[in-house]
Amino acid sequence: MQEAHQENAVQLVRVPQPRTSELKKRLWKNKWLYVMLLPGVLFFIIFKYIPMFGLAIAFQDYKPFKGIGGSEWVGFKHFERLFTEPDFLNILTNTLLLFGMNLLFYFPIPILLALMLNEVRFSFFKRTFQTLVYLPHFMSWVIIVSISFVMLTSDGGIVNELLEYFGFEKVNFLLSPEWFRPTYIIQVIWREAGWGTIIYLAAIASVDPGLYEAARMDGAGRLRQVWHITLPAIRSVIIILLILKIGDVLELGFEHVYLLLNSMNREVAEIIDTYVYTAGLRQGKFSYSTAIGFFKSFIGLVLVITANRLAKKMGEEGIY
Amino acid sequence: MKKKSFSILMGVVLTFSLLLAACSSGSNNGKNNTPPAATNDSAAKTEETDKPAEPEKPTEITIMLPLNIAETPPDTIKNELEKLTNTKLTYQFFPADTYEEKLNASFATGSLPQVTYLKNQATFVQMKEAIRDGQFWEIGPYFSEFPNLSKLKEEILNNTKVDGKLYSLYIGRPLARQGIIYRKDWADKLGLAAPANVDELFAMMEKFTTGDPDGNNKPDTIGLADRNDLVYGAFKTASAWFGTPNNWGERDGQLVPEFTTPEYAATMDFIKKIRDAKAMNVDFAATSKTDQVNMFTSGKAGVYIGSMQDVDSLVKDLVKNVPTAVVDTHSMIAGPDGKLASWSIPGYNNVALFPKSAIKDEAELKKILAYFDQLMTPEVANMMFWGIEGTHYTVVDGKAKASADKELTEREVKGFKDSVIGEPETNGMYDGFHELPARIHAEQLIIENEKIAIADPTAPLDSKTYTEKGTELQEIIKDATYKYIYGSIDKAGFDKAVEDWKKRGGAQIIEEYNAAYKK
Repeated sequence: MQEAHQENAVQLVRVPQPRTSELKKRLWKNKWLYVMLLPGVLFFIIFKYIPMFGLAIAFQDYKPFKGIGGSEWVGFKHFERLFTEPDFLNILTNTLLLFGMNLLFYFPIPILLALMLNEVRFSFFKRTFQTLVYLPHFMSWVIIVSISFVMLTSDGGIVNELLEYFGFEKVNFLLSPEWFRPTYIIQVIWREAGWGTIIYLAAIASVDPGLYEAARMDGAGRLRQVWHITLPAIRSVIIILLILKIGDVLELGFEHVYLLLNSMNREVAEIIDTYVYTAGLRQGKFSYSTAIGFFKSFIGLVLVITANRLAKKMGEEGIY
Repeated sequence: MKKKSFSILMGVVLTFSLLLAACSSGSNNGKNNTPPAATNDSAAKTEETDKPAEPEKPTEITIMLPLNIAETPPDTIKNELEKLTNTKLTYQFFPADTYEEKLNASFATGSLPQVTYLKNQATFVQMKEAIRDGQFWEIGPYFSEFPNLSKLKEEILNNTKVDGKLYSLYIGRPLARQGIIYRKDWADKLGLAAPANVDELFAMMEKFTTGDPDGNNKPDTIGLADRNDLVYGAFKTASAWFGTPNNWGERDGQLVPEFTTPEYAATMDFIKKIRDAKAMNVDFAATSKTDQVNMFTSGKAGVYIGSMQDVDSLVKDLVKNVPTAVVDTHSMIAGPDGKLASWSIPGYNNVALFPKSAIKDEAELKKILAYFDQLMTPEVANMMFWGIEGTHYTVVDGKAKASADKELTEREVKGFKDSVIGEPETNGMYDGFHELPARIHAEQLIIENEKIAIADPTAPLDSKTYTEKGTELQEIIKDATYKYIYGSIDKAGFDKAVEDWKKRGGAQIIEEYNAAYKK
């Protein structure tokens, strides 16, 4: 469905430019469409573009009383501080590692789930199952982390009670650096995997059934059909989602990580987002935390461009 | 530019003041454009104050403050305050949990209201830089004009001064409220007396864990319930018993941070011993205050270390779950060398500041200070702290006895209660009348504590580096302390963290504090 829209958009652009009067007529004719577009455009201008000027404070010693106009410009001082901060490498590594785990362990799961769901022929079962795996997405991280806390705590958490019952040692899930990353990724999968299948299922639904029939005629089994028809058909969707995911490289869910973070696991759990929060909002270092945020967005931009180029080289469409 | 458009806006607003007065009273939009209530129906009702022939226009004041309960209080108290003080008040309450964020965000965008309460001493330290920058009004020079404000205690005002100048009004608190709250019924059952020293305290916690104090034949109780807070949780209170200085202490004529002292290490060992014995919630480093309180009120844990004044709310919920529970408070716990001690705060727990971005001239500042001057009269202070007499409290023996409907008082009064400037001695409000024996005991102990209180010698001192990165560096120590207690680093590892702290600015902090101390 998404692709269909994109094709329409492309066609619109390709239509030869109408003369001005004709353009005006067109605009007038569709005036309500443009009026409806207005709030969206305004939203992006006001909340996404105007705030970008705020980035200027990354190069200042921002004093709220003096404002952006009156504060002193200090060049790259805050960036220098960030790069020389003893924790910086550690925080960057943590961020990238969590991102890597996301790509490696979380990203394929919605695809697998979608493929599996697609093979379910019993529609009642399929729909029920689908709804069930969506549901966790609607719970906030606070709830998910609290549920985990109750289950995992060594003061009577059910998981540890079970471990003890079966004669194992209790495991300190919440307060040991080794368990932070597994806990994190399992929670991500539990909450998001079902939701992630939606787009893949839609893409799979648009595959021409004729292809499957033809393949069956040629004697292809279920797995063969998945491999030679379904997967190639959703390949471009997978790639687009992958690029988008890479764009969010450092968006690891601030709230989620912040809730899991404590003194015992800080060395593996502190990521750029949580660091920005602590430095900026809790300690009031506006310029410094803006510089960090800026740096983060910059990495994201570089990664998206790279990924997009790669996708195009591999003969895919990319996102732009 | 902004100012100009603002004044135009103001003009428009004034024109429609009548109309808007109705809508704006409920809005908390962070701007001080609340129009004066020209209709003044509140002033008309005022009978207890002498009304001048020409009623003066009420002063408009916008106030931002942290809220320690779940919901914004209704206007009951606010309306009474407005009547008493001839003001039009706009209170902006923000949840205490996220107050620092709100504070910093409003600060960064220049939208702090005329009266800005901070959250605690830590946020005050953070604001010092901005105060030095001249972003807040210095109020010291005006003090002599306000008889009631001048009653505020000199020594506490000194603790809140920045470079010797006074910028803030303080909210007074007893110096040392720390102690233990424990299950007396459990102790009696196990034949234990109130612990006289730290070893007895440990023994009590251990017995509470292993001795089946609730008599259900299940090992489902623990001694201590603690939370992820090294200051207001158990740690700092225990550290005072061991003789650790309060944040900073003098050793061989030099000021040194508490965590470099052997007493601090002894405290870590003590908590480690409790945790290793599983006599406390072993996950305390990830336990929130709510969970900690639940452990106590559900009858799972027998000891709570912290502010003894918490006993009222703890008991209120505990007896719902365990009707037979008896609770007591205690604070005279001797350290290994037999000495008694209690750490103390510098006499205030929060301050109010007056941003220049919201108060444009001296006249306006004086009007606001006049409001606070009125707040320091018994009539107004009681209204804010205790509520309406007859509804929220009654006077018994010259003390205020809170009404039985605790929920109502909490909903309507608590929000304002935490913002009363000064203390009973200075603003003349009633002391509390308590019925709960444990609370009466606690109040006695708080007076006793004052005699053995250890002050923080750096409270009136300044260190530029500390203001800049003190909180940030403290994280290193905090993390290391937890790791030591959890056994993931040893003393050498802890010392390494202290070295790290020194290298990253701590050494400078020590130097600066010592320089300021010798002056």
